[in-house]
Amino acid sequence: MDAELYLDNNSFIHRLDPRTKIIIFLLSFVAILLFQNPLWMLPVAVLIFLELYVSKAFKNIYRIRVLLIILSLFSLILWNFFARGQTHWFLFVYKESFFYAVARTLLMVLMISAGVVLISTTRNEELVLGLIKLGVPYRVGFAISTALRLVPTIASSTVTISQAQRSRGLDLDSGNLIERIRKFLPLLVPVFISTIRSTNIFAMALESKGFGAREHRTNYLRLKMQKSDYIVLGFVIAFVIASVTLSIMGYGKLTGLKNF
Amino acid sequence: MPEPVITIKDLRFNYRGVKKPALDGINLDVNKGEFLVIMGPSEAGKSTLASTINSLIPNFFNGKLKGEINVMGRDTRTQSVAQMSEIVGMVFQDFEAELFSTNVELEVAFGPENFAEEWDEIKRRIDENLNYVGLDAFRRRPPSTLSGGQKQKLAIASVLALKPKILVMDEPTTDLDPISKMGVFEITHRLCKRDDLTLMIIEHETEEALFADRVAFIKEGKILKIGPTREVLTDVDTMESLGVMPLGIPKFFKRMGASELPLTPDEGVRAFQSSGWKVNPDAFEKKVAEEKAALAALSEPLIQCKNLEYSYNNTVKALNGVSMDIFKGDMVAIVGQNGSGKTTLAKHFNGLFMPKSGEVSVNGIPTKDQGVFKLGQKVGYVFQNPDHQIFSETVFEEVAFSPRLRKLSEEEVKVTVTDALKAVGLAGCEELDPFSLTKSGRQRVAVASILAAKPEILILDEPTTGLDYAEQRSMMNMVRQLNENGSTIIFITHHMWVVAEYAKRVFVMKDGQLFLQGTTREVFAHADELQTASLRPPHFVEFSNKLGNTFLYPEEMLECMEGKEN
Repeated sequence: MDAELYLDNNSFIHRLDPRTKIIIFLLSFVAILLFQNPLWMLPVAVLIFLELYVSKAFKNIYRIRVLLIILSLFSLILWNFFARGQTHWFLFVYKESFFYAVARTLLMVLMISAGVVLISTTRNEELVLGLIKLGVPYRVGFAISTALRLVPTIASSTVTISQAQRSRGLDLDSGNLIERIRKFLPLLVPVFISTIRSTNIFAMALESKGFGAREHRTNYLRLKMQKSDYIVLGFVIAFVIASVTLSIMGYGKLTGLKNF
Repeated sequence: MPEPVITIKDLRFNYRGVKKPALDGINLDVNKGEFLVIMGPSEAGKSTLASTINSLIPNFFNGKLKGEINVMGRDTRTQSVAQMSEIVGMVFQDFEAELFSTNVELEVAFGPENFAEEWDEIKRRIDENLNYVGLDAFRRRPPSTLSGGQKQKLAIASVLALKPKILVMDEPTTDLDPISKMGVFEITHRLCKRDDLTLMIIEHETEEALFADRVAFIKEGKILKIGPTREVLTDVDTMESLGVMPLGIPKFFKRMGASELPLTPDEGVRAFQSSGWKVNPDAFEKKVAEEKAALAALSEPLIQCKNLEYSYNNTVKALNGVSMDIFKGDMVAIVGQNGSGKTTLAKHFNGLFMPKSGEVSVNGIPTKDQGVFKLGQKVGYVFQNPDHQIFSETVFEEVAFSPRLRKLSEEEVKVTVTDALKAVGLAGCEELDPFSLTKSGRQRVAVASILAAKPEILILDEPTTGLDYAEQRSMMNMVRQLNENGSTIIFITHHMWVVAEYAKRVFVMKDGQLFLQGTTREVFAHADELQTASLRPPHFVEFSNKLGNTFLYPEEMLECMEGKEN
């Protein structure tokens, strides 16, 4: 089963230096967090969607669609509880609180999307190397990449395990909530155990290839910032500076919103 | 003058909390450039011994290590695994877990990077080793898209990139199809010719040990026999008593009373021709006729596939127009290369997969109209890895899972579970923790938990993988017993000797299509076609093919020898 997160598409974004992509990722968080008004978030949204489009990473968004939809629905409803406004619509929903909820939902979706762009366009090793070059210690960078690596492993063993249990008559689609949760036990235990087992072998294989044998290590991958990297970074930095300025000037607030 | 690179004296190891020693006084010298194969039953201490060579013991496994172990002048106890990795390379059985890079080049680069080699040197080692194992064309591919055999070759290349002086491989080919196995062994044959590299391989399959300089048998943590390959492998009786698979050819000659025992098919043919022995053609004809008659009696189709097609992502057809019938009471083997569609096909029989086009029916009703839950009562499916399904605290609970889901009363559940455990030889083990059992024990629990649903048809995906010879035999004898008691059996396997001895009929899959089918004897007679499907009959069958009549195992041929028939 193909459960890799990295998409081997060789797009413009794929070819950018990982450092550029990590910086874009961090800066888009800044830009996303600046404004309360969802309309003011649209420019960032457009940029991130453009990245998704160019890198053909919508495939990964599509894979997590169910999760995104559920989270968005909850977010759209729940944030209304944490804000009040002046224009009352119905029950606990105000016009302002509604826009606030939309903005919070957008924030979450955009942050996830920015992460998806980074992971779908950057190889694990590039990500580690990018982080190291940006000053993160090797072991920390490696830990991050190991965590990402576990995702496809767990996903594919979950598929096999759920097939095995369904063959034994486990029906995950019926029963009330509590019954359904209880039905996940036959899935969780084997997933847990097989993950621990493969992590153990992974650790042995790592050391058997000399992981940590020397104080310093070299890297076969070579990173090189190119013209396109500087252009993209220049644009992104200008964009964020503009956004920060506008935000300091007081634009992008939701007037009449009281949140607690 | 032999120069020992590994010196082991009276080595003992106990895993923490286990009373029985895993290694119980091992004495072993391995010389520079030597190729040593270690064989023995499960839990004999083979992997434990291998783990001491690169100091995984005592660094990774807790326990008590006593005795002396010296590898190229280093006491492994004072070394970390990473430090040892520049002299000892280690290849594991589970190639899925040992590869972790996103492309082939980087996988090989990882080791030299850790030793801070310069870029040019890393590049040189990547080129050299990928070329050596024949993966040059795959440099940019993610390892996850490679076939099993290619993955294991990559694992070997990535370890060789560290320029080790000793290479230890722990059952490197267990999960591979016969031709991929040969591919990996072709590499080891080249490696063993290098006199600067010492090879130590743990292996289950005796045919693969033929190229070694020496073979050692280990049981219960002790070396029971060690010597030159020919001398050890012709000791058929010791091998059988140790639970190591004896080679069919020497076994046959031994039973015929020959004094010189040949090992390979070619040696066998020459020895046979000069011996003056003859196969009695009437006895052979009679055997074949009886077999045909028995199969003709099976006429009630249980599973029928018509033009079955399936694809995972609409690009590559995993199954492409498969039509087949499986009859009640049959015992069928499905064989083929990794990725040929065997498992995909079998998962259609119990409704886990539904055909994208064409039809599969069980008992005359299309699977689409039945669904997994309903089909599960008729078609039991034992997955390859028992650890993918075991979750309960006791064996009883595990086996009772299916009957309880099917709403049987507690008394009925008890009866069913007792019957199922009896059938797999685990009666009396109800209260044990399934996780405390050996692999073969867990495999039996998995089979029992499927039997408890009382299926008419039992599918077993690789039931003998990871088991030793004796366990494989007892597992398959149990399956045959179930077949004799009326169950229809379908098993998927890479072990050709299991097919030869246990299957009544064989389906050979290749690239999503049914490539060959027939009685086991008919299929094994087509050695050349099998080769194109990446399969190879056991040595003994190859030997008998060359003599003109296909015999599946030595006992069968012995019965048909001139002067031996009744």
